[in-house]
Amino acid sequence: MSEVIVVTSGKGGVGKSTTTANLGVGLAMRGKKVVLIDTDTGLRNLDLLLGLENRIMYDLIDVVEGRVEIKKALVRHKKYENLQLLPTSQVKDKSAVNPADLMALCDELRKEYDFVIIDCPAGIEQGFQTAIAGADTAIVVTMPEVSAVRDADKIIGELGRSEKDNIKLIINRIRPAMVDSGEMMDMDDINDILAIKCIGQVPDDIKVVTSANRGEPVVGESDSQAGKAYENIVGRLLGEDIPFMEFEKEGFFKRLKKAFKF
Amino acid sequence: MSRDLVTIKGGKDGFRLLVDSSASMEEIEAEIKKKLDENPGFFPEGTKFELEVADLDRSVKKGINQILSQHGLGVELSAKKDPPPVSDEQSQMPPQYFIQHDGNVEAQEMTVVEHTVRGGEEVTSQGSVLVMGNVNPGAQIIAGGSIDVRGTCRGMVHAGAWGDISAVVIADRLMPTQIRIANMIARSPDIMEKSDFAERASIKDGQIIIEPIER
Ligand SMILES: Nc1ncnc2c1ncn2[C@@H]1O[C@H](COP(=O)(O)OP(=O)(O)OP(=O)(O)O)[C@@H](O)[C@H]1O
Ligand SMILES: [Mg+2]
Repeated sequence: MSEVIVVTSGKGGVGKSTTTANLGVGLAMRGKKVVLIDTDTGLRNLDLLLGLENRIMYDLIDVVEGRVEIKKALVRHKKYENLQLLPTSQVKDKSAVNPADLMALCDELRKEYDFVIIDCPAGIEQGFQTAIAGADTAIVVTMPEVSAVRDADKIIGELGRSEKDNIKLIINRIRPAMVDSGEMMDMDDINDILAIKCIGQVPDDIKVVTSANRGEPVVGESDSQAGKAYENIVGRLLGEDIPFMEFEKEGFFKRLKKAFKF
Repeated sequence: MSRDLVTIKGGKDGFRLLVDSSASMEEIEAEIKKKLDENPGFFPEGTKFELEVADLDRSVKKGINQILSQHGLGVELSAKKDPPPVSDEQSQMPPQYFIQHDGNVEAQEMTVVEHTVRGGEEVTSQGSVLVMGNVNPGAQIIAGGSIDVRGTCRGMVHAGAWGDISAVVIADRLMPTQIRIANMIARSPDIMEKSDFAERASIKDGQIIIEPIER
């Protein structure tokens, strides 16, 4: 049984592409056949996160306009050959693809892959409608921030109106110390407002950025909290019951020690 | 007895005006006048009616609009084409209940929303509104009657929106950005406290007060 997942958020820059890349690699590490589709036409960057930019020959637009077969446009990952990327165009705009195109594409890909994961552009305009069209499941990514949660809420409403009822939540870039001091929304507040199943809590972690710069998603890196969090999400997507981890934080004793170190 | 040439029905999206297309303009005019005079003050100024007619003449439609506008009312054209996004998810047959209004007992509908009302969504009802879920930040509920939220209310709620000062707002956890009842507005304190009881907001002595209730 294959699953088509769209990763969306409303607000930009909250970590959709990062999530897509990490879940893709994570699922591939677990032996699944995975294809990632970048639908952020004009602002493509999923290829960068995966370190595949130099291998792109064709793109999503070439496929939907019938210039090449899907197979020819797919870019195989360097390390995991069961992971493929369908990149999008850097120069066209989002109107070049419509919902029906994507639906047909997903139906084609689901025959061969266990997971099709779609990276959605920010916003709720046509690009969003196109990205969600073929999906069975939506993953909404948000951050512990009032405006990001507000946008996530709108997106969830929008998904409901498009009859997408299987919606899951990932809360990204959590800073435990700030949550504790009340400067950041806590997980219970967010879950209470959004009221959809939370499948991941990812801490803010500099390793996410450094690994993205290398083109190697952080998932599975044992010395990274975010890497561990993504690994857990992968497990949950595969139906495993994994408890949420406690984040390492600057606890009371550490702070005391620091205070005494003159 | 012959059937009514003009019928007014209250529904979850407002009032509908049903007109017998065989009636002449004069008959329709007389009927509407009669209906409005029977219920003085029931239709607040600015109320819009949805015209429910398939084959009415343009001129008749125009005539109806004129009569209504003389009473400070109006016609909502093509309201059917563009329903508010939430209403089609609402239950098909809202339960009916009766309220006392200026000595007349009028059948009025209660709008039941069976899900959380999310940011950017708006529910408007001539009657009262029952939400079986949360009202989230950025959502709006506007009701002619009272509003009851079986969950946490964090959005903007306006009860008695057409002047009913006896309307109330009830929620399991009442922490809205703003509460409006009739023409009064109360905004939330800048630091919102979490409430642990169900609470009710109502107008007492000319101001909006909030008190805990049992339920
Ligand atoms: N958990 C994290 N910790 C630290 N930095 C992160 C984390 N998640 C994402 N980032 C950083 O945040 C930035 C935005 O992430 P990303 O590009 O994945 O967001 P996006 O939602 O896809 O943005 P857009 O809406 O522009 O497509 C990137 O620089 C990324 O490295
Ligand atoms: Mg992106």
